Amino acid sequence: MKNRLGRVVIMAFPPVALFVLLVAIWQIAIAVGNVRSFILPAPVRVAQAAWLHRWELLQATGTTAAAALAGLATSLAVGMVVAVAFSQSAIVRRSVYPYAIFLQTVPSVALAPLVILWFGHEFRSVVVVAFIISLFPIITNATAGLLDLDRNLVELFAMSSASRRQVLLKLQLPNSIPYLIAGAKISCGLSVIGAIVGEFTAGYGDGYYGLGYLIIFASNQMETDFLFAATLASMLLGVVIFAAVSLVGDWILRRWHAPGSAGDALGAN
Amino acid sequence: MPNERWKERGAYTAGATAWSMLIGGAMLLGAVFAGCDPSAARRDSPSDTLPAAGEVESRGTSPAQTPQPATQLTLALNWFPESEHGGYFAAQVRGLYAEAGFEVTIQSGGTSAHMLEQVATGRADFGIANADNILFARAQNAEVVALMAPLQNSPRCLLVHKGSGIESFDQLRDVTLAMTPGAAFATFLRWKLPLPGVRIVNYSGNVQAFLLDPRYVQQAYTFSEPFIARQHGADPRVLLVSELGFNPYTSLLFTTEKIVAAQPDVVRRMVEACVSGWQDYLVDPEPTNRLIQERNHVGIDLEALAFGAREIAPLIVADDAAKEGIGRMTLERWQTLESQLVESGQLTAGAVDPRRAFTTDFLPPATPAVSPGR
Repeated sequence: MKNRLGRVVIMAFPPVALFVLLVAIWQIAIAVGNVRSFILPAPVRVAQAAWLHRWELLQATGTTAAAALAGLATSLAVGMVVAVAFSQSAIVRRSVYPYAIFLQTVPSVALAPLVILWFGHEFRSVVVVAFIISLFPIITNATAGLLDLDRNLVELFAMSSASRRQVLLKLQLPNSIPYLIAGAKISCGLSVIGAIVGEFTAGYGDGYYGLGYLIIFASNQMETDFLFAATLASMLLGVVIFAAVSLVGDWILRRWHAPGSAGDALGAN
Repeated sequence: MPNERWKERGAYTAGATAWSMLIGGAMLLGAVFAGCDPSAARRDSPSDTLPAAGEVESRGTSPAQTPQPATQLTLALNWFPESEHGGYFAAQVRGLYAEAGFEVTIQSGGTSAHMLEQVATGRADFGIANADNILFARAQNAEVVALMAPLQNSPRCLLVHKGSGIESFDQLRDVTLAMTPGAAFATFLRWKLPLPGVRIVNYSGNVQAFLLDPRYVQQAYTFSEPFIARQHGADPRVLLVSELGFNPYTSLLFTTEKIVAAQPDVVRRMVEACVSGWQDYLVDPEPTNRLIQERNHVGIDLEALAFGAREIAPLIVADDAAKEGIGRMTLERWQTLESQLVESGQLTAGAVDPRRAFTTDFLPPATPAVSPGR
């Protein structure tokens, strides 16, 4: 236990030290270069703005987090279903997969106004934008996981006269879990971006707003320190969600999926 | 031995960390100095390339002197070119800038105009903004100064459908209200009015959503969106925000304190050219509207601009301007605006001194504003 704590502290030290050093450089550079606050606010001013607006920032972070997580969850569900469809039918895969690639290149800034037009200025529109942006990595990774099978295991299942359903449930799905988790780690950052971009346009105000709204609001009021605080909050949110997804993913892998063990390949899970 | 391996790993980690710090620090410094040294980043500024004040004075009087090259100036707009910029474009069309020895590039602003930052960092010489923008910028230590106010009264209004039955601000309830987040008038309205059941959303920059929903209310300028909505078959009514007492000067010409101090003659001639431009726009807006239409790349038509020119006239020829000429500003109006912004929570009390936000020193001697259509 002590060892583990010691290891965590030692691993955390370099990034934390770097952070402190960068903040110090930032503060000194502002003072030395006499940079005006509307160009680049000093860390002290950003911290003050964050403290002054702490309740708004906390609430906005909660709203954005809810939209991002809802979008991520939906993309996991829908992405998995689409991937299963792709894995079961080569025709479907070959005809639909290229269009899934469009999802990767969709310009979210152009997409959001359309989504708002169709779904209204509601929370659900922000979720839709986050969902669309995080969908592609799930589809590709899950599809790869369902199809990238050990030849020997496929033959083993064939020799045992396994039905398609059994192959899907006992071989393909378990095989896809690590791939899906990798996809989720990529998509969780995208879902935060998608939520914020959605909020730029949806901007539901009056006590029910997200970080994207705060960013636009601060920008229009030329409150650069508040703008920085909101931007940093978004970055922090992305990091926290990534850490959560990683932790959950690693736990799932440890608990149910020890790679290379004969047990799970034979359906002993 | 585990110890030695740790030392090796530790050395590698320390080395990598050191590199990251160096690179990160260098990038941050680079970004900071790029931001704080504007003259390195931009092309010729008036303070660099202008001839000395003495030379400029004598240029107009002696035809035997060799002509000086025109001074390059940039004017940054706060939106797409529209009627609200009429006088500034008129000065271009009528050669008033050229007469003053300037070659003015008018930069379109669009939906994400950053004219205050551009002027404050020296990337543009002059800009167009509203009085509230000027005060916000000054609160952030951007030393911008307003020079003239062509629109004495604010055209800011809310557009409602006549069919909604809403005839005044206190009747606004159970509608969707589209306003730009953070805009001064928007925050003022939210502070001032109860707005029960009103859902506030972002303004998309066009009237599409308004046309689709009878219970949709959006921000507008009196001489612009109402006409466009009518063109598309809607029957709108406008609610003037100035009737609630919020009436900032609009479409102000502004620059920095630095330019005012270093090149007062340039500033004076620029202001004179703009005042004459606005006088011209009141009388004969058509050639100017043609230029505006050309420069507006989002498809405004001449009919809308003609309507705009007519509707904007009473906003210009009002109060002080009728008697003392276009562009006048009073301290009282600036102080009223400042206290309104403080009351509605948009400015900290004492953060901005309204006296330093504007100057009337460069306005030409009083010539009464001409009435339109003469």
